[in-house]
Amino acid sequence: MSALTLLVLRIAFLLLLWVFVFAVVYSLRSDLFGGRVRRVPEGAAPAAPAPASAPPAVQSLPSPPTPGAGAARVQQGPASVLVITSGGKAGLEIPLGTEPLMIGRASDAGLQIRDDYTSTHHARLLLWGSDWVVQDLDSTNGTFVDGVRIDSPTQVPVGVPVKVGATTFELRG
Amino acid sequence: MADVTTTLSRPEEDRARIIRPSTRLRNIELGLLLVALAVSAGAIVLVQLGALGRIDLNVVKLAGGVGVLAIALHVVLRFAARDADPFILPIAIAVNGLGIAEIYRIDLSPTGVRNHLDNGTTQILWTAVGIGAAIAVLFLVRNHRMLQRYTYIAMLATIVLLLLPLVPGLRLRGAAAYVWVSVGPFNFQPGEIAKITLAIFFAGFLVARRDSLAMVGRKVLFVQLPRARDLGPIIVVWVLALGVIVGEHDLGTGLLLFGMFVAMLYVATGRTSWIVLGLVLAAAGAYAAVHILSYVQGRITNWLHAFDGTLYDQPGGSFQVVNGVFGLAHGGLFGTGLGQGRPDLTPAANSDFIIASLGEELGLVGVFAVLCLYLLFVSRGFRIGYSGPDDFGKLLAVGISFVFALQVFIVVGGVMRVIPETGLTTPFLAAGGSSLVANWMIAALLLRISDTIRSGPRTVI
Repeated sequence: MSALTLLVLRIAFLLLLWVFVFAVVYSLRSDLFGGRVRRVPEGAAPAAPAPASAPPAVQSLPSPPTPGAGAARVQQGPASVLVITSGGKAGLEIPLGTEPLMIGRASDAGLQIRDDYTSTHHARLLLWGSDWVVQDLDSTNGTFVDGVRIDSPTQVPVGVPVKVGATTFELRG
Repeated sequence: MADVTTTLSRPEEDRARIIRPSTRLRNIELGLLLVALAVSAGAIVLVQLGALGRIDLNVVKLAGGVGVLAIALHVVLRFAARDADPFILPIAIAVNGLGIAEIYRIDLSPTGVRNHLDNGTTQILWTAVGIGAAIAVLFLVRNHRMLQRYTYIAMLATIVLLLLPLVPGLRLRGAAAYVWVSVGPFNFQPGEIAKITLAIFFAGFLVARRDSLAMVGRKVLFVQLPRARDLGPIIVVWVLALGVIVGEHDLGTGLLLFGMFVAMLYVATGRTSWIVLGLVLAAAGAYAAVHILSYVQGRITNWLHAFDGTLYDQPGGSFQVVNGVFGLAHGGLFGTGLGQGRPDLTPAANSDFIIASLGEELGLVGVFAVLCLYLLFVSRGFRIGYSGPDDFGKLLAVGISFVFALQVFIVVGGVMRVIPETGLTTPFLAAGGSSLVANWMIAALLLRISDTIRSGPRTVI
């Protein structure tokens, strides 16, 4: 084994070591910068041509969502935070991804509310197109969007209070 | 209502089939793991080329067994913890592989053949045991919150583990610090495992008591001081740490335990006064230790006057530290190349001083890469703790990550003369079974906590 080969191998090894470090850092980047990839231009584009009506994805719902107070509001992409506005942990913010969020007393719920008025699997928040929709899962005490008890999946515009049990929350952009 | 539910659920299933974030995490892990295994294999082959001039396939095959086990752990994660953090395992494997290569390299050196033959093989076997322990932890602890039930059992276990080396029949003869337990052919450092049980106890204890530790107290000069009776726990841990330092001659473990408690107290309460109090207590303890214990005094003198000629030649003098620094200097920026330096000239080159050995052969560039890997490992641990919804998991993740970071700082700082030298093992790198097993268990706990966080409830009201 000549000295030159060893030298080349040596430097190649140090390079490999750093490639590994940077590979880890590169895979980490979404964590470092957060789930910031909101595709703002893409979300803004469908909202612009049809500002007054519900976005196209929601129109494909079997039963059209009951128009809430802020349903006609123009949104810049889906809401990204759920804020508890009243109840035990008022003020708590929960970041929303793209996954559905289960709300209820069960331990597998994404938002676990432990009070006497909440059912085990009470309601579910889903991202439908670019809108969050709340679906009551046949709960005992009901889910209220803007004070109205819902019986079909209902769009939740930003800033409209949703009541589950003794807890009220709203979505924010 | 019923047909609405069924029609609604279909597009959701479609999306679930397309996105599948859990598999994505495991695929990232697999990709990084393959690179980590390439790093480990490359290191061993380079050691052989440098030191022997040929490739000895027996050792490569043996080390390949570790690779198979690493893949096995990855497969276990796919089933048992699909949403676990994808970076912990590759980083641990890469550092562990580098450690095996360097320990094997010391075995191959002229003095190594006589003095510490076959430590490399032992390290490979201990790595296998460590990965096995990690798999066992992943299966036994299905949800980290169950550990909260064992808060006080963990405390008891810690005390027993810390006292074990003092039991006359079990103590390893001839060691400077009484931290070894010797049962038949096996030597074990129970203090390493005690780190984990103590973190479990602290987390459980602080979750239950932190309100009184955080809220109550009176304000004196900008700092809110805690009540006298809330000082109990920190005093008890301080006495325990001092007991380890005095009774077992183990400065490192004492510092580690106390540092972990202060850090977790701060995380639990968010009060700076606990850190101030901790530093004052540590300074008082250090002052007393320097003046009472001769071995601590010796360490300080070796640190301050390392390059003094008479001290260098004295038995128990600064020979080891200074030789380590010479090795680092010899390595320079890019190192001598694996297998081509003389790291074996430093005593304990494969355990306490392995970072100096690596520094000599991989240079500053290599040491920085290793330190970066440690940094990433610890940052993942803090991140897992940060994103956890339950306070127990938060505290546990932060506690075990902090103790890992503190251990790296104490041992690397000691070798590089930033702080006085204390005998601690470099996590995942140094030769030593107990340390490896303990660190693999820490890795497994972090994996388990991160999985529970991602798949479990995000928020509890």
